[in-house]
Amino acid sequence: MVKLKELTCKCVYGLCLAPDFYKMCQRRKVKYEDLIFLVLILVGFSFIIGKFTSTVRLIKNLVYCFSYSNLSLIDCVFQSSENFTNDIRSIVYMRHENIVYKQKNQELTDKLRNYDIMAKEYDNLSKLLKLTKVKNTVSVFARISIRDPDKWYRWFIINKGERDGLYNELPVLMFNKKKDTLCAVGRIVGTYGSSSKVALITNTAHALPVEIKNKGVNCLAEGFDSNLLRITYIPRDADVKVGDEVVVSELSSVFQKDTPVGVVTDVSEKSSLDFKTATAKVFFEIDTIYEAIILVPKMKI
Amino acid sequence: MKKIIYYMLLYIFLSIIQFVFGKYLSVFGIFPNFILIVVAYLGVSKKIINAQVMGFLFGLTWDAFSTDIFGTRALMFTVIGYLIGKFCRDFDMNKILVQFLVILLANIVYWLGFGLIHFTILGNESYMTSFIDGVCCVKVIVTVLIAPIVFHVFGMINKI
Repeated sequence: MVKLKELTCKCVYGLCLAPDFYKMCQRRKVKYEDLIFLVLILVGFSFIIGKFTSTVRLIKNLVYCFSYSNLSLIDCVFQSSENFTNDIRSIVYMRHENIVYKQKNQELTDKLRNYDIMAKEYDNLSKLLKLTKVKNTVSVFARISIRDPDKWYRWFIINKGERDGLYNELPVLMFNKKKDTLCAVGRIVGTYGSSSKVALITNTAHALPVEIKNKGVNCLAEGFDSNLLRITYIPRDADVKVGDEVVVSELSSVFQKDTPVGVVTDVSEKSSLDFKTATAKVFFEIDTIYEAIILVPKMKI
Repeated sequence: MKKIIYYMLLYIFLSIIQFVFGKYLSVFGIFPNFILIVVAYLGVSKKIINAQVMGFLFGLTWDAFSTDIFGTRALMFTVIGYLIGKFCRDFDMNKILVQFLVILLANIVYWLGFGLIHFTILGNESYMTSFIDGVCCVKVIVTVLIAPIVFHVFGMINKI
């Protein structure tokens, strides 16, 4: 039998005269089989691993289309291929964005380095001049854990407390995406171990010294349980218009000066002879607020 | 060329039997797994490459028609084609008992592999034990019982 096989082998590979050539062919065949097996297994596994990716969906739809073709399926194939190209496009965009972010990151790192040098110089100078250092602040990020619907515009509870270095009368702010800045939300009125109570600026019991930005008009922002603030004590002759920005004034003991508060939506002149009132819409997104930033001053040196 | 036509016809014929007739002739969702039997037959009587490539193509087609994880059947049929071709080639396949045994082993590999992949990817334990449950058991038994007929038919075709 083996001889017959050897003969066949010799016939097939006419030039072969070596007796071990058949065995070599067999070994090569076995390797070839194993290689194909490995390739098929890898393809199968890649299908399984990428089960929900658009590439696999495209292949699935193509196979289905060849086996059982109709219009809707062809449409499906086109949709899948569109998704696939969209994915590739998004990868390219992401790569581009990544490059831009890397550049920005580099710029910011350079700035930070400059800042560190400046801070050192400042430290040295303040030591030489024996000046009291201006207090720096540390940002504490907290999530809102409790918010009573009945007191929606009055207060909420955050998941950071005394253990995180918080105490009463600290300013609570929120990042406004549209304005790309931090805006006033409220102040801490009660601290516990791992939570704190925050009174919102829209709370009726809350009044905040504010000013109209770039106009130097000092007034008071009072909450009245809505997303609006009542701006009172505006001098009668002050030039306040709808659209003017309201910022925290220097008189505030809680917030830093010029922290954005809201924008004037209405001005009324009827209430008093000496002053007029206005209504302002708060900058922080009162209904979608989930996280807050608390600025904790560092110790004075 | 003849071989290519043979395998193409085999592919079309078996796909029609499994996917078209399978829909209408199944009783309580039980229909023999002809593809598994044919892949096993190819593994035993033809080259391993043919068995695994045909297994892969059949599996891929089945995956395209099913809602399970795409690629599972392709993988399992490839493995079965390869394993049977490697280890069962020396068996005397003319004996019905051997045919039963080989198809039973192929079924066990198929269902266990299927279950394992589902368990690993989806975390679905029910697939792991599906081999033991009633419907699955009946499916395996039906496939095992039908195997000698398929082997006989393919033996006849090969003689022609």
